[in-house]
Amino acid sequence: MNRVLEDVIHRHAANTDRITAENTLGYVVSDNTTGNVAATSFDNTSAQGIVKHMNGILVGIVQSAVRDLDPTNKLCYLRVQTRKFEYLVAPEELFTITVLQ
Amino acid sequence: MSAEVEEMLKRYQGIKNIVGIIVVDNDGIAIKSTLDNQMSVHYAGHMQTVTEKARQVILDLDAANEFTSMRMRTSYFEIMLMPHDNFFIVVIQNPCD
Repeated sequence: MNRVLEDVIHRHAANTDRITAENTLGYVVSDNTTGNVAATSFDNTSAQGIVKHMNGILVGIVQSAVRDLDPTNKLCYLRVQTRKFEYLVAPEELFTITVLQ
Repeated sequence: MSAEVEEMLKRYQGIKNIVGIIVVDNDGIAIKSTLDNQMSVHYAGHMQTVTEKARQVILDLDAANEFTSMRMRTSYFEIMLMPHDNFFIVVIQNPCD
């Protein structure tokens, strides 16, 4: 599972560089099943913290709230705005991408 | 203040893409809403849980930071959540595409 993820990341590396060259502060790509960080532009401890809090807790809660409101509905992405910056979270089937800007 | 709120609600209701606006107080009770009662209560309850958790998550990640708003894009529409001091606003809209 992790090899597949690494392949995907390698294939999209040019795209990733283009996006991160813009206004972003950084990104984290994490594996959905294990919760491990697959790729990040931050230091590992912050990245792990972000993954654990944002992806693990918040995305789960928002997804269950959305599904409680309408069982056929599902979360496509999430933008959380804070005073300092904004988190853009995109949960997919296998992985979750989080970008800070 | 209530007159301003009414006017604002009326103004936003006219916009085609907006499905509904709900103002929820700290106890999770929908104070004002443009949707029917059952849906409002339903949304209010769930969005209150989400707001609380989001606030805690942001505070955990960085104690100096503060959660100001959140947009959830789902397959059918988009829900925006804006917390204030005593209440929070939920806006449900159909995104333009």
